[in-house]
Amino acid sequence: MIRIEKNYDGTVTPAPSPAKHGEGPVMTDDLYEKRLAALAANPALQGENVRLPESAGAGIRGGLAVVGVGCLALTALGAVVHSPTHALASFEVAVFTVLAICLGSLFFTMLFQAINAYWPVTFRRQLEQAAGLIWLPLLGMVAVVLIELFSSLFTGHGVLFQWLTEDPGYLLEKKSGYLNLGFLLVRFAIYAGIWLFLARSILSMSLEQDATGNRMLTRAIRRRASWGILAFALTVAFASFDFLMSLDFRFFSTMWGVYFFAGAAMSALAVTTITFSVLRLTGRLTGIVTDEHYHDLGKLLFAFGACFWAYIAFSQYFLIWYSNIPEETAYYVYRQEGGWQVLSMILVIGHFIIPFMILISRKVKRNVLLAAVMAAYLLIFQVLDLTWIIRPMAYVGVENPAGPGSWWIDVVASVGGLALFASFLMRALASAPLIPMKDPRLATTLEHKNYV
Amino acid sequence: MSIVQTVADYLPIVPKPRPKYVTENGKRVHGLIAEYDTPADVYHAAEKIRDAGYKKWDVHSPFPIHGIEEAMGVKRTILPYIVFKVGLGGAFGGWLLQYWITAVDYTGFTVQGKPYGAWEPFTMIIFELGVLHAAFAALIGMLMLNGLPRWNHPLFSSDRFLGTSQGKFMIGIEATDKSFDPEASRALLESTGGNDIEIIEDDD
Amino acid sequence: MSALHPDQVTAERLAGLRPGAAGRDVDMGLGDGTLTEDPALESPLVLGDRSFDEVTDIVCGYAENPAPKWWLIAFGIASPIAGLGTLFILYMIITGVGTWGLNNQVDWAWDITNFVFWIGIGHAGTLISAILCLLKQKWRTAVNRSAEAMTIFAVICAGIFPGIHVGRVWFAWFLFPIPNYNWIWPNFRSPLLWDVFAVSTYATVSALFWYMGMIPDLATLRDRADARLRKGISKPFSLELPTGHFVVIDAITPDKIRAFVYGLLSLGWRASSRHWHRYEAAYLILAGISTPLVLSVHSIVSFDFATSVLPGWHTTIFPPYFVAGAIFGGFAMVLLLLIPLRQVMPNFKDLLTLRHLENMAKIILLTGMMVGFAYGMEFFIAWYGANEYEAFVFTNNRALPTWISDKGAPYWWAYWAMISCNVLSPQVFWFRKLRQNPLVIWIVALFVTIGMWFERFVIIVTSLHRAFLPGEWHMFFPTLTDIGIFVGSIGIFATLFLLFVKFLPTFAMAELKAVMPAADPHGHHGDHQTGHDPQHGIAGGADQKHQGTANAEGGH
Repeated sequence: MIRIEKNYDGTVTPAPSPAKHGEGPVMTDDLYEKRLAALAANPALQGENVRLPESAGAGIRGGLAVVGVGCLALTALGAVVHSPTHALASFEVAVFTVLAICLGSLFFTMLFQAINAYWPVTFRRQLEQAAGLIWLPLLGMVAVVLIELFSSLFTGHGVLFQWLTEDPGYLLEKKSGYLNLGFLLVRFAIYAGIWLFLARSILSMSLEQDATGNRMLTRAIRRRASWGILAFALTVAFASFDFLMSLDFRFFSTMWGVYFFAGAAMSALAVTTITFSVLRLTGRLTGIVTDEHYHDLGKLLFAFGACFWAYIAFSQYFLIWYSNIPEETAYYVYRQEGGWQVLSMILVIGHFIIPFMILISRKVKRNVLLAAVMAAYLLIFQVLDLTWIIRPMAYVGVENPAGPGSWWIDVVASVGGLALFASFLMRALASAPLIPMKDPRLATTLEHKNYV
Repeated sequence: MSIVQTVADYLPIVPKPRPKYVTENGKRVHGLIAEYDTPADVYHAAEKIRDAGYKKWDVHSPFPIHGIEEAMGVKRTILPYIVFKVGLGGAFGGWLLQYWITAVDYTGFTVQGKPYGAWEPFTMIIFELGVLHAAFAALIGMLMLNGLPRWNHPLFSSDRFLGTSQGKFMIGIEATDKSFDPEASRALLESTGGNDIEIIEDDD
Repeated sequence: MSALHPDQVTAERLAGLRPGAAGRDVDMGLGDGTLTEDPALESPLVLGDRSFDEVTDIVCGYAENPAPKWWLIAFGIASPIAGLGTLFILYMIITGVGTWGLNNQVDWAWDITNFVFWIGIGHAGTLISAILCLLKQKWRTAVNRSAEAMTIFAVICAGIFPGIHVGRVWFAWFLFPIPNYNWIWPNFRSPLLWDVFAVSTYATVSALFWYMGMIPDLATLRDRADARLRKGISKPFSLELPTGHFVVIDAITPDKIRAFVYGLLSLGWRASSRHWHRYEAAYLILAGISTPLVLSVHSIVSFDFATSVLPGWHTTIFPPYFVAGAIFGGFAMVLLLLIPLRQVMPNFKDLLTLRHLENMAKIILLTGMMVGFAYGMEFFIAWYGANEYEAFVFTNNRALPTWISDKGAPYWWAYWAMISCNVLSPQVFWFRKLRQNPLVIWIVALFVTIGMWFERFVIIVTSLHRAFLPGEWHMFFPTLTDIGIFVGSIGIFATLFLLFVKFLPTFAMAELKAVMPAADPHGHHGDHQTGHDPQHGIAGGADQKHQGTANAEGGH
């Protein structure tokens, strides 16, 4: 039966209603004070559970510093007894490993603040601290730049930077607008300035919040982090061009900056995991950083350490392999002969397949010790990855390109760099509370759970 | 739910086990349901029923209540392991398919001078097939572990039960549970704050 | 809206007939209480003090009420366009690929542009569901269902183009490794074959993901229809005419059809917690595997270009750049669809708040800059690589306007349309007032959608139209069939989306309910969940509710 009706009672029409104006809701200060007071009374947030004594681990710290300085001295010795190019390459591996850790930490600090992340609040302080140590690898980079500068002044060519030469060919002449020492110094100053400013100012604002409880600092950091990520992306990409990609000035890859970033993100997560595992295993942060937080940190480690790196590395390799254009392919050819092919295979298996298979397990991610072991494992692979990038360049152009050669120099350089960094990180660890004590989101973080 | 029962649900020729309790209409008793007002109520009730030793019972809610597995004493599902294995199998199958076709069955077709069995061009399809199989394993595995799909369920005979997919919270205890007793179970549900306790008949 | 609702006041409130929480009908550009800048507050995800039943009523109402007037008008426009597009496709298949404007040099043009455009849009849905789910972004619950639906329809539109572009579509089965009497196998070293596997896997997995997410909501629709049938309050079929009259057909009871169809599709779901446990695990797994899948699909699409040696196509950043572009374009399309729906569908604003829109605007800004980063990198490396052909493509085929140099690019306008739409227009989102204004967001989303189409056009056509020899230089001019099929694909997309809005749960109800404060079985932290705090200095103090929770918080 079909009929036509008027005013059938099925439809809904929304009624207009008065509009509301305003800036958005704000919590009153006295209410917020009460919330802070409740947080301050939380039994988990007391004493040594969240704050190390100034003297904590002073012996280890000193020992690490001695080891670090000693190993770097051995690297310098390697320059004398073996080859300055090799030693400088090993030193640059160490510097860039530490730089990757600091830059990755800076990235995650900014990211977590920019997106108002809740669960990682408890991890953020150590990311801020690691980012704040960026002056350490920057000093190393200054050393690299100075060595190249003096080398080119006195001998006419660079040590590791092959584009520093008195006899530029066609390619270098075309690229000289970018690859010249003066511009490099300017760029380096810009990178260093931006990184130092972002890392130190965010750290100091976060520490100030610990003291004053001013929640609007969170908003200030968020604003800084928003443009900071943009500045970060550009500086990291160009810094990786300047110090890594241009080691072989013939080679170019638009993916390069992303590739270095992938390693940096992973190293930062690895160091964070190790730091917190040490703290938790020594009885700190009970009830604050739980297995639930570790589960999520492990997911990030899995995503960046195994998957994202593999994605970027594979995409770069695959496109070059498939297209087979000589100026690009040479980069991979260097690394498939003279002994480097072994390292290439180790990277494929050890940097992707093994961590993928292990970190996919929920049990590993939630286990304090296993997570730390995997993090240390991945950190070693960051060193190997950078070795694979930098070290073959030490011999390009030499008549019979040599393989890894005297690898003890690589070992001492990387151990030295990491030991020195660890020593300073331990000092930073003891200098402030282990977590952002008055972060407005801390209360929610403490209750974080993975329900599936 | 026992296997016999599940099979009997799907194949009507398989006789169902003899009912322990029968209503006055002569129909088998499926179980009892009780309604709760809030997620918190049903959560705390679930803890009590778990502690009373029941095994065949369930909480029905319009959305997954966070942490209810713990309150019910449900073990973690084995689904992730199934999915992982099926996914790996799919990925391996993807490699085998491509390798066999390209490097074994159909050689002599050179593309860009690349080796026949080179792994690089196979990566994409290996990955895609792995994901495809894992996705099917996740959906089908979830349904099979849940005993779904099914045409009907005795619980749907209750008018009020239909509200559990909208905004109501209910606990249902099945009559096949060893600890089930019409009076004692009803008393337990009442003591946990359950309202409108109702006997569900199984229409067979 | 809610024939079942026992409470008249609530029913009217839901219908917007009564002021109160339901009447939160905010003017464009003004706050709805979710736009807090105070880090101590967490914005509510559902406004208007809704109960679980009300959320159910609102969402199910979209699928249960007779089609509103705007829907009929929109459907009346979209479906003929879809039909016309289908006719163009038929004409093209019958006549041949020559009906397109392709020529010897430009053998990929609008067809592949449209393919990449649609497949790119198709990425946002799975991304919202998968990546945001993994990142615990609760606000995704408001947009994931419609975004996933959009994904599937966009993939359908995308699938049309390579399918018909190969010509002789009846041989399309050659794309799959099916044993045949010629003993011919597909070439597994061809990027186009990877595409076949990637796109079909993506379409399948997205559909599974979407469907699995819908099972509980379909069960809700089934149960409601069932309940009305049992109570005998089902209404006959009715259709509103533009005159305001209704056509009512007594012989058809929609609830019977609903109970059957939704019943079939919901697979006997009975909201059991034991099932929910496995369901959530399966959902998380699907989210986990969909995330690399999203990345892989658009990466593989980018391989179509980047594995070649063509200047402008071969560059290593293509995979992540394409992925970022896909997310960018996809979010723009989500906003393009949801902002108008928010205006016309009752109570939509309670479920999709300004905070949701602002978050998406921020993602547009972020991904827009990632795309801009890739443009910049490409340009820089084109120069730094010192390959003159590469440099020529970027300056003389793309960027340099013909009115500056007679060696300029005839397609300079396409390049600059791409830059201004994709890189410049999202920059307005740096300003809070602008990214909180739905109208501004909608306009930017429109620009971005246009810009992303131009991006693919620029990549494909400007690289192809000039080969290494100037004698091979040809311009591309689209024909009516080119335009007709593209416009038709928009019609197909719109038609499918309108059908979705009318017949399926537009919001993931179960997930929405799970993120409401009342869903927390431990029931505290009220003050994080609400945005109704009085403004500091205006209201002069906390209201009772907050005083209460703050004290309660102090207690534990």
